[in-house]
Amino acid sequence: MIESQRHSYHLVDPSPWPISGSLGALATTVGGVMYMHPFQGGATLLSLGLIFLLYTMFVWWRDVIRESTLEGHHTKVVQLGPRYGSIPFIVSEVMFLFALFRASSHSSLAPAVEIGGIWPPKGIGVLDPREIPFLNTPILPSSGAAVTWAHHAILAGKEKRAVYALVATVSLALVSTGFQGMEYYQAPSTISDSIYGSTFSLATGFHGFHVIIGTLFSIICGIRQYLGHLTKEHHVGFEAAAWYWHFVDVVRLFPFVSIYWWGGI
Amino acid sequence: MASTMLRSGIQGVLRRGGRTPQAHPKRNFSSSAHNDEYETAKWEKITYLGIATCTVLAFYCLSKGHHHSEPPPAYPYLRIRNKEFPWGMLCIT
Repeated sequence: MIESQRHSYHLVDPSPWPISGSLGALATTVGGVMYMHPFQGGATLLSLGLIFLLYTMFVWWRDVIRESTLEGHHTKVVQLGPRYGSIPFIVSEVMFLFALFRASSHSSLAPAVEIGGIWPPKGIGVLDPREIPFLNTPILPSSGAAVTWAHHAILAGKEKRAVYALVATVSLALVSTGFQGMEYYQAPSTISDSIYGSTFSLATGFHGFHVIIGTLFSIICGIRQYLGHLTKEHHVGFEAAAWYWHFVDVVRLFPFVSIYWWGGI
Repeated sequence: MASTMLRSGIQGVLRRGGRTPQAHPKRNFSSSAHNDEYETAKWEKITYLGIATCTVLAFYCLSKGHHHSEPPPAYPYLRIRNKEFPWGMLCIT
């Protein structure tokens, strides 16, 4: 922090990233709609929008890390902002996934006559919940245990152990994603097979997507821990990643019980 | 002047609830209530236990083999393909 500054707040410099992120999001949305409907140039606009959005994310977070580590702007008061911001973000993610699980329950609790009045719909081949779905369920909580190990290692000042713990977290996450891919590959039904396929794929697919996001978040934290960015007193980025990761691993239990187990037998 | 100083002093004490300010204020979101050395070792063991369980389970699940079911009759709500995939084929298999 600048020595002459007589308050503990971070007055940010003007930044081009909010407007570039907004334009990237607009191009992604419009391009996505154009791509899904027969408009020319949809794929190009969607790709450009996604590239623009990913570039903005990279440079914006690069700036945040620079302001935090090199420039030391993230005082205790400033750290409250991202902490309080993480909570509604994760709550909104919980609500998003809950809506997808609710869609599955809505269709399965009173199955329509069009699908034979039964759940799973007549003719649908379902996965045995005791096979890969059961195997994949404890992998994520184990990864959650590894991130807790990393957290305590950071608090105890054991930098190397924290890196090892984050390597374990990420490895388990990648194994989980691998098994999820294998499950989709072997699945007897696809997203185009009735309301079962739609709700199953949307819920498990979006959960898998969140696993990938959380994995990237943990990888970034692992790199930052290796580079010595995270200290005993100051590791807000890691805490946000750990909260996100616990959300992802706990949420996995809901589709396992309601979609794979209850909805698949 | 003296009364102003006295008033601000009283207000300061009231704001702090009569307590003296702590050198290290409690971190509200911190999970470091326990001894971190002990907790690190404990969670390391829990992680190893989780990895061991998942490995055993993986060997068990993968060694069982995979059950192949017969293709179902062509019900109208199955294999709904209204348009091509981006790569042009009508099927991914």
